Amino acid sequence: MVLKKIITHWKVIILLVFLLFAVVSIRPQIFGSEGLTIRSVAANSSAAISGIGNPSSKLMPVSRERIISIGGEDVSSLADYYAQTLGLEENKTVKIETNKGVYTTLVTVDELGQTDLGLKVYPAPSSNLRKGLDLEGGTRVLLKPEEAISEENLEITIDNLKERLNVYGLSDVVIRAASDLAGEDFILIEIAGVTEEEVKDLLSKQGKFEAKIGNDTVFFGGKKDVTSVCRSADCSGIDPRRGCSKVSDGYVCSFFFSVVLSSEAAERQAELTDVLNIESDEGGQYLSEDLTLYLDDKEVDRLRIGSELKGRATTEIQISGSGAGNTQPEAVTASLKNMKRLQTIIITGSLPVKLDIVKMDTISPNLGKEFLDNVILVGILAILSVVTVVFIRYRKIKIVLPMVITIVSEIVLILGFAALVGWNLDLAAIAGIIIVAGTGVDHLIVITDETLKGEGITDWKKRIKNAMFIVMGAYLTTCAGMLPLWFAGAGLLKGFAFTTIVGISFGVLIARPAYAAMIEMLLKE
Amino acid sequence: MVKSLKYTYEHHYKKLLLIPFIILILAIVQIGIQTSITGDFVNKGVTLKGGSTITIDAEDVHVSITELDSFIRSKFPRADINVRTISSAGSVVSIAIDTDAQEKSEIDAVISTLSDKITLTKGNYNVEVMGSSLGNSFFKQTLIALLIAFLLMGLVVLIYFRTIVPSLAVVLAAFSDIVVTLAIFNLTGMKLSTAGIAAFLMLIGYSVDTDILLSSRLLKRKEGSVMEKIYGAMKTGLTMSTTTLVAIFVSLIFVRSEIIKQIMIILFIGLLVDLVMTWIQNVGILRIYLERRKKN
Repeated sequence: MVLKKIITHWKVIILLVFLLFAVVSIRPQIFGSEGLTIRSVAANSSAAISGIGNPSSKLMPVSRERIISIGGEDVSSLADYYAQTLGLEENKTVKIETNKGVYTTLVTVDELGQTDLGLKVYPAPSSNLRKGLDLEGGTRVLLKPEEAISEENLEITIDNLKERLNVYGLSDVVIRAASDLAGEDFILIEIAGVTEEEVKDLLSKQGKFEAKIGNDTVFFGGKKDVTSVCRSADCSGIDPRRGCSKVSDGYVCSFFFSVVLSSEAAERQAELTDVLNIESDEGGQYLSEDLTLYLDDKEVDRLRIGSELKGRATTEIQISGSGAGNTQPEAVTASLKNMKRLQTIIITGSLPVKLDIVKMDTISPNLGKEFLDNVILVGILAILSVVTVVFIRYRKIKIVLPMVITIVSEIVLILGFAALVGWNLDLAAIAGIIIVAGTGVDHLIVITDETLKGEGITDWKKRIKNAMFIVMGAYLTTCAGMLPLWFAGAGLLKGFAFTTIVGISFGVLIARPAYAAMIEMLLKE
Repeated sequence: MVKSLKYTYEHHYKKLLLIPFIILILAIVQIGIQTSITGDFVNKGVTLKGGSTITIDAEDVHVSITELDSFIRSKFPRADINVRTISSAGSVVSIAIDTDAQEKSEIDAVISTLSDKITLTKGNYNVEVMGSSLGNSFFKQTLIALLIAFLLMGLVVLIYFRTIVPSLAVVLAAFSDIVVTLAIFNLTGMKLSTAGIAAFLMLIGYSVDTDILLSSRLLKRKEGSVMEKIYGAMKTGLTMSTTTLVAIFVSLIFVRSEIIKQIMIILFIGLLVDLVMTWIQNVGILRIYLERRKKN
């Protein structure tokens, strides 16, 4: 009877709905998931030709394509996969079975003479939670400056690379200066959850972006000349005028995005275009020279300049480029990836020095699988000890049980949110979860004491109001303390402050009110 | 005994106020001495100040990673050590050992210890000395962020209670808690990791909880005397702190990760310090404030 009343209380219903959402977005694979998940397919590799597509980065981890067997034999570990692909015979076809279909792939040989399918795979994830560098390891890149550079320039390079990776959308990154015993400088980068191909260009490109008319530079990439780069859908994306087209061996799609130039750069453009002639071409009036875009001294695109721009200091300019693929969707993905990379480079500007990639490997996590198992065990023990203390104090199962339900719910809510927005769980996030659970218990005790001691006050509403006054006060103050860390802090602090704010918000706004409702009904009996 | 303690607590709260302030001053002195001797206000571990990575070809390593890890840790108990594997195409190609050793002599010590387990030749290992992963501006940035954090917290409490004194008391308590815990942490000789910084920031959350509880009960409730309200708040507050302390204590016994252990130790110290800061410092300040308000 009470149970029915509890479950139908609107505060409890809200909690249940959010919990349901959380579990759906985490999608724990309780019975495990077989096979190996495809991280990437190399362009023009035999796998790509046989029709295996690159997974979109928007896909949730559990929904990605998984390889079940190769040549009829099941693959369940990375060791299996490499043993089997290395054992394949060159120029013969092999059947690759995935959870989405069966592909017939021709086996080719890579530059080292080893049989290769062009796939990068990793063990199938057991849920949509993405683990960060600390927990799952990542790609480790050792970069060497092409020429000796000063300490100051090394620092500028590191800051720039950091920004470049962040702007590109990778935040779970560690970048450090390193040197060997001979005193040579290196830069060591560790990045979670990316493929080597994806970051190769981003890191090794010096990123000297130049727009020229004839031999004169109009503007360079970087904040001095380009004040802003559009990354929203209304002024960037696949170019609607040029679109995609079929070429001999696949498709090519064009992208565009607009940038805003500084007034000096716009002036320079006006001066340079002023002396140009007007020509008629393809039914339009254009200037006699094109605006040519160079990246690291290589021409990447050539744009015609409309005659109406002659001698005008326009600050808004459209930049374009293209990407290719075997199928049209693949070409779109490739094109958008190239766009993102070019935008990143234009925003962050050029590095003081060109960097060579010395090594690129996969590095195991600081804290491995045992760590996670141990943390979960410790978490359960910590909850049990909280239960014991609370039980000793209140001696009522009616209080202890809702409390445990609430704490566990709060943790599930945080994890669900993490899975939904695709943020990497790392040490900072774990620290955040500990503080949320810890202050959660604090607040539940405040709510309990306020409702229990209400001898003087018979009005339940008043009791809950008293409790929520304290809880809200603590919540607002803690948020005020975390906000500056979120905005002004660096890497680790950002993650910690973010998790804490998100976590206590779910707690204070959803889970803790539901707890108040639960014990109100249980204690009224 | 209990009675006289209770009497002292209820009547000599102004004298008792000296305790938290003396502790705070001692802590600031400790941090000052630490800074003048070592040049840093805290012992920094490998993640904060950098260190070196020794990379060894995997084929020459015939012991397991976990064995190697615990072996080096047992030889250098005070150092900050991490053993990881580097793999290429799915198989392990080398073992990377991160330590906080930066000087050549320190690195040589690690290498000679490693030679007990692994045959090291000129060609099969590599040493890279790394700088901090956080950059030079990290601590400055954090301090500025903390300063703004304290200001904002004070502002929120000011708006919430509409009086300045409790707002200052909450900020002072959080500040004292962090500073005193830092000094005690320094005395343990542990080396701070990035996760440890997060732990210090977590103290803000815990400290705020008990202080807001106290201020609400003392300033907003009408029924009962001042002492009754304080004891009421204390009953709730001590339950809060006890549950957390017990949970941390149990975690400390079972946790194997050094990093989480450090977070837990900092929280444990911080919560004990918070007891003094809330129930002596904050109570004292609020009682003086209430007395003055009555007189006017």
